[in-house]
Amino acid sequence: MSAEPDVIRKCMWPVCLMGLFVTSVLSLDCNLLNVHLRRVTWQNLSLLRRMSKSFPIECLRESKAFELPQEILSHTQPLTRDIKEAFYEMSRQAFHIFIQDTFKSTWEEKHLRQVQIGLDQQLQYLEQCLEEEEENEDMREVAEDERTQSGTPVPQLSNLELRRYFNRIDRFLKDKKYSHCAWEIVRVEIRRCFYFFHKFTALLRRK
Amino acid sequence: MLALLGATTLMLVAGAPWVLPAASGGTNLKSPENGRVCIIDDNFILQWNSSRESVRNVTFSAEYKIPGMENWKKLPGCQHITSTECNFSSVKLKNVYEKIELRIRAEKGNNTSQWHEVKPFIPFQEAQIGPLDVHLEAEDKAIIINISPPGTKDSVMWAMDHSSFIYSLVIWKNSSSLEERTETVYSRDKIYKLSPETTYCLKVKAELRSPRRVGFYSPVYCINTTEKHKVPSPENIQIDAENQVYVLKWDYAHENTTFRAQWSHEFLKRIPGSHSDKWKQIPNCEDVETTHCVIPQNAFPEGIHRIRVQASVGNNTSFWSEEKIFNTEMKTIIFPPVISMKSVNDDSLHVSIGAPKESENKSVNQLYPLIYEVIFWENTSNAERKVVEKRTDVTFPNLKPLTVYCVKAKALTENGKWNKSSVFSATVCEKTKPGNTSKTWLIAGICTALFSIIVIIYVVKVLLRCINYVFFPSSKPPSTVDEYFSEQPVRNLLLSTSEEQTERCSIIENANTITVIEETNPIEDHKKYNSQTSQDSGNYSNEDENSGSKISEELLEQETV
Repeated sequence: MSAEPDVIRKCMWPVCLMGLFVTSVLSLDCNLLNVHLRRVTWQNLSLLRRMSKSFPIECLRESKAFELPQEILSHTQPLTRDIKEAFYEMSRQAFHIFIQDTFKSTWEEKHLRQVQIGLDQQLQYLEQCLEEEEENEDMREVAEDERTQSGTPVPQLSNLELRRYFNRIDRFLKDKKYSHCAWEIVRVEIRRCFYFFHKFTALLRRK
Repeated sequence: MLALLGATTLMLVAGAPWVLPAASGGTNLKSPENGRVCIIDDNFILQWNSSRESVRNVTFSAEYKIPGMENWKKLPGCQHITSTECNFSSVKLKNVYEKIELRIRAEKGNNTSQWHEVKPFIPFQEAQIGPLDVHLEAEDKAIIINISPPGTKDSVMWAMDHSSFIYSLVIWKNSSSLEERTETVYSRDKIYKLSPETTYCLKVKAELRSPRRVGFYSPVYCINTTEKHKVPSPENIQIDAENQVYVLKWDYAHENTTFRAQWSHEFLKRIPGSHSDKWKQIPNCEDVETTHCVIPQNAFPEGIHRIRVQASVGNNTSFWSEEKIFNTEMKTIIFPPVISMKSVNDDSLHVSIGAPKESENKSVNQLYPLIYEVIFWENTSNAERKVVEKRTDVTFPNLKPLTVYCVKAKALTENGKWNKSSVFSATVCEKTKPGNTSKTWLIAGICTALFSIIVIIYVVKVLLRCINYVFFPSSKPPSTVDEYFSEQPVRNLLLSTSEEQTERCSIIENANTITVIEETNPIEDHKKYNSQTSQDSGNYSNEDENSGSKISEELLEQETV
């Protein structure tokens, strides 16, 4: 029994060093990703703001809590990879929402295009970065596979939470028959979501 | 023998009615085992194993429960099933991201088995990507591919992923299946660089990046490319940003041709479906006869776009060229790096690459990961060494000594999607140090050190001699003088007077009294001095003063004793 803490202490250092090593390897290729993301996300934020002059008061009644899963990124030590994947998932789902052709009357075509372009850019950077990492990470993946096979499946819970969140938004739009108010509410909600993620670009830089 | 045979028949006769009531009687109707779910796209299939003694007329039924439901509900499509699987796709789940629970049991008449519960699952996490439907169209050197995304049009499973699928494609010439080519394409894309009049075969699978999931390959599709088109397509499309304009260039061998260029948003590629109507004419690039055109920078909004060019001769038009992707960020300028070179030792040179000086123009050097292409050559020869480095320090080893080498470098964006590079920096040249420098320098150093020591010794000697001559001249007066003053006192006349000698004599006479005075006085002085300093230095002085005075008193005592 008394040997246990000793073993833990002995193992702690290599584990810590490994952790440091892995994070530094990860940041090697996409070391400036945070710069791109920060810029593009900020750009998209201001685009979403400019899309509409102000939030229509008559829509306040219909407003709904979509429950952005804030806890997904608030772990004490989120892995950079996890942040990137969550960022990717978020950008993808936001893109998916803004390419629906049902809101032509709500916003100006020009603004909509800009948001679509901006989100595409956000996706391009993330895809490129995730691709590069995948190439470097075959070993890590093997390790992960082993972990999943050993009994405890590691589903990407945070991404599933994000999916549920965007699914709520999607369903809200459908339920409200893509009304003007529904779109305005969704726009505000996605802005909030972007703002939340924008804060995390700083976390990417620190790693 | 007979008895044995009789016994077995008896057993058989007895056995048969024993089995039958077990099946119909229902007391021990066994529940199904190993229930599992297989989901491909929107097809939900539940499978299970029935106990071995499967008897006729036994059916299976399943129930389900999702969050928010109080009671179990009958699973549509899975009621009174005689086989060991059922399709429950008709459930129409609204949310494939919530946990679903299933249970199955065997039934016969009024008898039912215990429920067998299937491990709860989240449909989306179990779902596999099904095979794809692919439609092909041929050109002379390209195949247009049109992939229908996985699932049906109103697929619930992939409803949020329609724009996220990427497709991995393997293409080969039917004649030689060895030369396979793998490409990643969008749902509507073009495969270029093919030969005319050749049969190509391909298969495609869909992939999701996050959560990483790979689908099944589609069946193999084959298609013949057409014969070579009369009017070839423009090739090697390039776009560059130059002072406030974009310059679009392409290669074309034939004359008397007019060209037109179009652009489209890159993001449209992500959205399944045809976007052929979304191509827009590029201003200044309509019916041009040159193989380039100059486009104002405001022709495109900020972002990533695609460009294509078409040639036409008379009424014949070529196929569209390969599409060139470009990012409007390319109009930002990358500045050349600042380099410096230093010879480290006799056979290597160290080059350090520095950030360019900040310019008024917007520089991307800080924004993008850069790599450096360093070109290094011997001044007198043309043989160049090219190094592509990510680091800003490069060392060139194995060089000839005492030779002039030159270096220049340019910065490139690391990003493969839009290549951009700076111009080359100014050339910097440097001579390597002579061969075996370390040894020669050591010898030379020692020699100079030795030599300087000798010189110093000599100089010191000379100096001493001079000083001696001036202040302590030789006590011997010239021989001529010596003849006249041969007595001792007179010879010391220059250094000490006779009066001093007489005074000293008088001191020696009163030696006792004088020494006492001389000994007491300095101690008094010392005491005074001590108290003075300790007063200056603050608090701790009191003790010091006391101890100091004590010591001096002791001293005084000792000395008087």
